[in-house]
Amino acid sequence: MLVNLDPNDGRPLYLQIMDEVRRALAVGTLRAEDPLPSVRELAAELVVNPRTVSQAYQELERAGVIYVRRGQGTFVSPTVRRSAGERRSLALAVAKRALLEARRNGVGVEELVTMIQKLAAREDE
Amino acid sequence: MTAFAVATHGLSMRYGKQAALSAVDLRIPEGAVYVLIGANGAGKSTMMKVLLNLERPDAGRAEVFGLDTRSQGPQVRAQVGYMPESHEHAYAWITCERLIRHVARNYPAWDHEYAAQLIRIFGVRPDRKVGTLSKGENRRLQFILALAHRPPLLLLDEPTDGLDPVVRNRTLAHLAEHLADTPTTVVIATHHIHEVESLADRVGVLSAGRLVAQMSRDELRRTVLRYRVEVPEGWEAPPELRIASLRRSPGGREAQWTLAGEERDVTARLAAAGATVRDVTPLALEEAALAFLAGEEK
Repeated sequence: MLVNLDPNDGRPLYLQIMDEVRRALAVGTLRAEDPLPSVRELAAELVVNPRTVSQAYQELERAGVIYVRRGQGTFVSPTVRRSAGERRSLALAVAKRALLEARRNGVGVEELVTMIQKLAAREDE
Repeated sequence: MTAFAVATHGLSMRYGKQAALSAVDLRIPEGAVYVLIGANGAGKSTMMKVLLNLERPDAGRAEVFGLDTRSQGPQVRAQVGYMPESHEHAYAWITCERLIRHVARNYPAWDHEYAAQLIRIFGVRPDRKVGTLSKGENRRLQFILALAHRPPLLLLDEPTDGLDPVVRNRTLAHLAEHLADTPTTVVIATHHIHEVESLADRVGVLSAGRLVAQMSRDELRRTVLRYRVEVPEGWEAPPELRIASLRRSPGGREAQWTLAGEERDVTARLAAAGATVRDVTPLALEEAALAFLAGEEK
């Protein structure tokens, strides 16, 4: 799993870290029982306050996404699956970003959807 | 209740006629990485010196972990790792190793094993004379001196000054590791804001000695935003928006501000004034701080 933070993203860093973990789960680069980097490692890698990483991990633990094995580290919960709900919320986030960008540029919804379909069809050829 | 590592109450200080600090109420919660932002001469370094009792305030008082900085100076200094802005050492002729040993004697909590590790991490040559070090090497030596007694409070004055980008990143990454190993509150005074942005979780903005903003990074991210609006031709901003607006760049039918406030409230105010909000974007820390400073200059 690789975590990237975007300094221009308006959301708090701990939420960005949580989303990166969720995204890794959704695309399958992170799976059940996989170990996560320690708070210390991830804080050094991202150059953030370790408390920010702790906060993200605590929230993910509360949500049942990850668990702590004492003395061994943090792992992905065995019950985590690539659920339909998780996919839907990921798709929703992508759609929101596209819609926002379209509005900024004065592009209508139908125009946007048509263009995406055209592009995808061209790539499939 | 939050415990504060640093709290100042109406702290004021003058250098002759010049106000260096004016009624500053700093609040730095334990465990925070607090970035103190301001132009050169805004009072950042003076603030740190007052906390160490190296400068005496004319009014108000300061506490570090509840200790009064004036009457309990030595106890306060034992709790603090300080990196001064200056690159000059008083002992230019002695070797790095001797300077480290000399400083170690002042701190009962000095961790010799950790100091040796830091010397390796930062690549400082122990046999070099302090006076022959480059700016960057000096900064690295100062990091070792500040960190090796694992103080609960770090005061870092322009810590990235003189470091090349590779060393800077390694140094800040090590600082993050240090914070994971040792519970520490960090105060970073800097005008190289973007270099320490990812570490910051609280922000204070000093302008000509006054603390014009102080909040968590998340609150700043949420409440200081850039609004791009569409306005009718010849549109004049109503007075209440002129007050609230910190920065404005007009461009015909488009206007742009950096405004402070909850997004919903600001959008409603703009709509009521006849402007259509087209775009709301979050700001990098530096831009948000600049907006406060620009607002002060008016």
